[in-house]
Amino acid sequence: MSPILWSTAAPAIGAAFLASLVEVVEAFTIVLAVATLRGWRPAMLGTFAGLVVLGLLVVLLGPLLDHVPLHLLQLFIGILLLLFGMGWLRKATLRAAGVLALHDEDAIFAAETAEMQREADRKRSSLEWIAGLAAFKAVLLEGLEVVFIVIAVGAGRGLLWPAAFGAAAACAAVLIIGVIIHKPLARVPENTLKFVVGVMLSSFGVFWTGEGLGVSWPGEDLALLVFAALFLATGLVTSGLLRRPMEAVQ
Amino acid sequence: MSIIGDVAKELLGMFLADAGLTSATLILVAIISALLLWGRLDPALCGGLLLVGCLAILVEAVLREARRDRGA
Repeated sequence: MSPILWSTAAPAIGAAFLASLVEVVEAFTIVLAVATLRGWRPAMLGTFAGLVVLGLLVVLLGPLLDHVPLHLLQLFIGILLLLFGMGWLRKATLRAAGVLALHDEDAIFAAETAEMQREADRKRSSLEWIAGLAAFKAVLLEGLEVVFIVIAVGAGRGLLWPAAFGAAAACAAVLIIGVIIHKPLARVPENTLKFVVGVMLSSFGVFWTGEGLGVSWPGEDLALLVFAALFLATGLVTSGLLRRPMEAVQ
Repeated sequence: MSIIGDVAKELLGMFLADAGLTSATLILVAIISALLLWGRLDPALCGGLLLVGCLAILVEAVLREARRDRGA
């Protein structure tokens, strides 16, 4: 890959890696809860089934993207990225300000384990089946977001493979660390990651919505850096302003 | 059925977590599109309006949620 291509691909790889990291950590927590409660067999079977369904979705729907005119694709994906990215940034800002509680992987792990046990008692069905289904759903639901992120940051510029590489690297990183420590990845600074990813996705969203509408951004790709700086500053200032009155009360 | 329902909920949640933010963003994009189609404004200025509008929508959505939380 030439240096110029790397500079174009790096933002897509970085955004896909960081966004996927958040989603994969969430899926891993539930898969680990399943494995702890019922062993690795249902956890792995559920994970594999989830990955197969996701793979089928990509194989079936992916080629359709080639038939959509580029400007229309950029506009459509740009709007979805704006909604998704600003949604993440809104939530991360509220969490940073202390308005919403931080994501707690240990608490989610405990809640998921208890929920599976309750479900098995209520339905009197095999715990192994319920455990496998929980792993399947976790991988499918979190994986859908990863698939969307890869398509969203990659499709507008023909960077699907670099974005997929970023997502795959995130999966590998979580899997390797998870296998080594064998605990929920509670120390991952999830809100900081969500903040950064929200900034990146919102910036991509403005960029591609504009391009889809026919706007030629001054500085072309460099405009993304300006957008990211403005979204970051807006999020930080807003969370700072919200934190101050609460600190004054305490 | 529960899995299909959960998938639908997840997909909706991805883009419609805050109805106010979603509708304001869609209205902003529609206004910018109309301004560009009308052709009286410079496209770069429309791009700037899109950016500023998105930042304003984000701030409003955060402040609205914070007010609601403190009022509860």
